[in-house]
Amino acid sequence: MFRTAISALAILAATAIPAIADWPEKPIKLIVPFGAGGGSDQMARNIQVGIQENDYLPQPINVVNVTGHFSIGSRQAKDAKADGYTFLQIHMALMGGEGSGAIDFGWRDFEHVAAVGEFCVIPVVRNDIGIKSYSELVEKAKAEPKSLLFGANLGAINHMSGIALSEATGKPEFRYVQIGGSTANFTALTGKQIHLSTMGVSEILKFHLMPDGSVNPDSPLLPLAYAGPERVSALPDLPTLRELGYEIDFCVSNWIFAPKGTPREAVEGMAAAIEKATQTEKMSEWFASRNVNNIVRTGDELEAYLTGVWEVIEPVAKIAAAQK
Amino acid sequence: MLPELSAFITLFDPWVLCLILMGVTSGVVVGAIPGLTGAMLISLMLPVTFFMQPYDAIVLLVSMYVGGTSGGLVTATLLRMPGSPSNILTTFDGYPLAKSGRPGRALGLGITASCVGGLIAAVVLFTVTKPLSILATLFGPFEYFSLVIMAMVLIASVSQGSLVKGLIAGFLGMLISMPGVDPSTGMTRLTFDVWRLDGGLKLLPVLVGVFAVGQIISDSLRFGERGQVTEAKTEGILMSFSDLKKSAGNMLRSSLIGTWVGILPGIGASIGSILAYTTQKNLSKEPEKFGHGSEEGIIASEAANNATVGGALIPLIAMGIPGSVVDAILIAALMMHSISPGPTLFVTNGDLVYGMMAAYVVATIAMWVILTFSVRWIARIMTLPMTFLLPVVVVFCMLGAFALSNVMFDVWVMLGFGILGFLMDRGKFPLGPFVIGFILAPIAESKLRTGLMMTAGDPSPVLTRPFSAAFIVVAILLLIVPPLLAWRRARKSVELGDFDAGGD
Repeated sequence: MFRTAISALAILAATAIPAIADWPEKPIKLIVPFGAGGGSDQMARNIQVGIQENDYLPQPINVVNVTGHFSIGSRQAKDAKADGYTFLQIHMALMGGEGSGAIDFGWRDFEHVAAVGEFCVIPVVRNDIGIKSYSELVEKAKAEPKSLLFGANLGAINHMSGIALSEATGKPEFRYVQIGGSTANFTALTGKQIHLSTMGVSEILKFHLMPDGSVNPDSPLLPLAYAGPERVSALPDLPTLRELGYEIDFCVSNWIFAPKGTPREAVEGMAAAIEKATQTEKMSEWFASRNVNNIVRTGDELEAYLTGVWEVIEPVAKIAAAQK
Repeated sequence: MLPELSAFITLFDPWVLCLILMGVTSGVVVGAIPGLTGAMLISLMLPVTFFMQPYDAIVLLVSMYVGGTSGGLVTATLLRMPGSPSNILTTFDGYPLAKSGRPGRALGLGITASCVGGLIAAVVLFTVTKPLSILATLFGPFEYFSLVIMAMVLIASVSQGSLVKGLIAGFLGMLISMPGVDPSTGMTRLTFDVWRLDGGLKLLPVLVGVFAVGQIISDSLRFGERGQVTEAKTEGILMSFSDLKKSAGNMLRSSLIGTWVGILPGIGASIGSILAYTTQKNLSKEPEKFGHGSEEGIIASEAANNATVGGALIPLIAMGIPGSVVDAILIAALMMHSISPGPTLFVTNGDLVYGMMAAYVVATIAMWVILTFSVRWIARIMTLPMTFLLPVVVVFCMLGAFALSNVMFDVWVMLGFGILGFLMDRGKFPLGPFVIGFILAPIAESKLRTGLMMTAGDPSPVLTRPFSAAFIVVAILLLIVPPLLAWRRARKSVELGDFDAGGD
C-alpha cells in the first residue's frame, strides 16, 4: 500500500516537473551533515574527486558540510528544491534518529540514490579482563549483568551495534557509557576506563596491528569476532559471528539521498556517476586502505537493502531510547 | 637524534619553506580576523591538500595551525576582539596596555611569549611523546570534570569587576550552552520545537557576537571619532634580555601548563590560557595589575595557548588521538593519503612524523619573524578611523559565522549575541566568564554524566580519585585565598591611608 503511494507520488512528481534531459546544467550540491575530516566527509570528498577527475558529470560537485546535529543538514536536504541539484550523504544515524523519536522525519522522506561502501563492526574487549572469546563475553555479561562497561556514543552507530549484537546473541547485558566514537573508545580502553566497545575494521588495523599484520605488543585491544557475512582478509583468524552460531551481521554504509520528488534523470544520473567513480583505481585503493568493501547499491537492490536495515534498526533504536 | 636532524634538513628545501611561510602568513591573517579561525582555513584547505604530496600537505596544514593560533592575539590586543576563544584572556591585559598607547609593547610580548610557548611544547613533543600520551589516557571523566570546574572557578575569580557579576555572566553562558543535542543521550533538549536549535548554539557565532559585534555596536555609537589612540608607539616590540630573564619562570610554567592541557583530548586551548593566567596572577608580586595591562598576564595567556598546539600534537603522533578539532582535521588529511595515524605511525611513517614535528618548530619561529616585522604596520590599526575599520570587520564576522557550518541561522545568532554583548558590557558584566561558561559547561556536564554512567550514579570518585580531588581543593583555595589576602591588604592600607590599593 505504502509502496504504491510512493510510486504514485513519484509519478506525480515526475509529471509535475518538466523533463530535464539536460541534467546537470549547473553545479550539484552534496550536503554532508557532519564536520570536515570525518569518515562521512572523506567518503564524500572521494566521490567528488572520483567524479570530477574523470568527467563522469559535466558539472562540478560541491561538498557542503553542515555541522551541528546531523538532522540539521538532513533537514536542509529534505526541504531543498527537488530539482536534481541537491543531494545528501547520510548513514544509519538517520534511521536511528527516526526510530528513537529524536527526529520527526526519516529515510522514507527522500529519494534513494545509492548506498556506497560497507564495513561491518568488530566487538572488541580490553585484553586484560580475562575474556578471550565472544562466547566468554556473553557468559560473563549474563552472569554479572551490567558489570561490563561498553563505551559508545549513545544513540549513534556503535551504541546501536552493541544493542543489535546483544539482542541476537542471547541478550548479554552491558552498561552503555557515553564515550564517543572509535578514537575516544580506544583512548578509554587504553586508560582502563571501559571494558568493551565495537569498532570498524580500519580502526582495528590502525590501533591494533603493526604494518606487517602482526599484533602491536602495546595494543590494549582484543577483537572477538567480525559481524559480517564472511571473514575479513586483514584479520584472517577472526571468526565471524555466524561461524560462532549467531545469526547476525551488522554492517554500515554511506547513503546518497535526494529530496523527495527529484527527477528520475537526476537520481539515476547521479547513481551512475557514483558507481563509475567507485570503480576508479584511486577510489578502489582508498576503499582498500580503509578496509571498506567496495559495494554500490542502487535502484531496487537499494530499496530492498534499506528496508532490511530499517527492520533491524527500528527496534534497536527503540531499545536504545528506552535505556537512556 | 638522527631522524630529527634529517627532518629539519628536509625542511630547508625552498618549496617547503615557501609552504611554511604561506601557511603561517595565511594562518596569522585568518586567525587575526574576528569571525575567521585557523580551523576554518584548515578545513577549507583540506580538499586542496588531496592533490598534494602527503609531506607537503602536512607541512602546510601544521603551519596554518601555528599561524592561526597566533594571529588571534593581534585583534585581541588591539581591538579587544579575541580572534579565537584561546585569546580571551589576552584581551584582559593586552587591550588595556595597547589602549594606554603602547600597542607595540603589548603585541611584542604576546608574539614572543607565543613563540617561546610553542618551542617549549616542541621540546616536550620531541622528548616524552609516548609516556605522556599514555598518562593522558588515564585521565578519566571525573578528572576532566574537576579540571573543568577548577577552570570555571578560576575564570570567575580573575575577571574584572565584581565577582557577583562575573558569576552571573558565567552562569548565563552555561545556560545558553544547554539547548541542542544532549551530550550524553544524543537526544535534543530545550529546543522549544525550533529545529534550527537542534544543533545548539555554536561557539563561534556566540564568541564573535558578544566580543566583536558587541564592540562594534558600542564603537559605532562613537562614530566620527578617530581610533582611541592617535599615536601608536611601536617601541618595545622586541623583548630585551632582562625582560626575558624576568619572565623566564612565567613563560616556562605557562608553557608547561599549556602543553599538558593540549595533551588532554578535547578540552581546548582556552583552558590552557585560563590556568596559566590565574596561576601567574596568584604567584605574581603585582596581582593588582592583572586586568589593567599586566605584562605578565599577556605572557602567561599567549605562552600557554601556543603551547597547547604542540601539546595537542603529542597524542596525535603517539596514538592517533586528536587533541583538538584541528588535529582531527590533520588526521583526516593523513587518511586521505591512505596514511592511518595511530600507535604505529612512528613505525610506518617515521619520516612524516619527524617532518610534522620539525615543521611545527620552524613554523613557530617563522610566525615570530613574520609578526615581529609586521607589528609596526599592524599596530596602526589602532589609529584607523572606526568608520573604515568597523564595516570591514562586520563583513568578516558575518562571513565567518556563515562559513562555519553553512547555515544562515548562525549569522542571526551572532547578531543577537552582539546586542547581548553590548548590553552586558554597558551593565559592566564581564564577557570572559560568559563565553568561558558557555565553552566549559557542556564539557563538565558530559564528563560528569559519563562518570556517573560508569559508577551507576555514584559521584564520590570526584573526591576520592587523587587528581580529581586535587583540582577541587586548588579551586576552593584559589577562590577563597586571594579575596582574603586582598581584604587583609586593604585593611592594612586603610590604616596607612593608602586608598589606591585593593582596587580589584
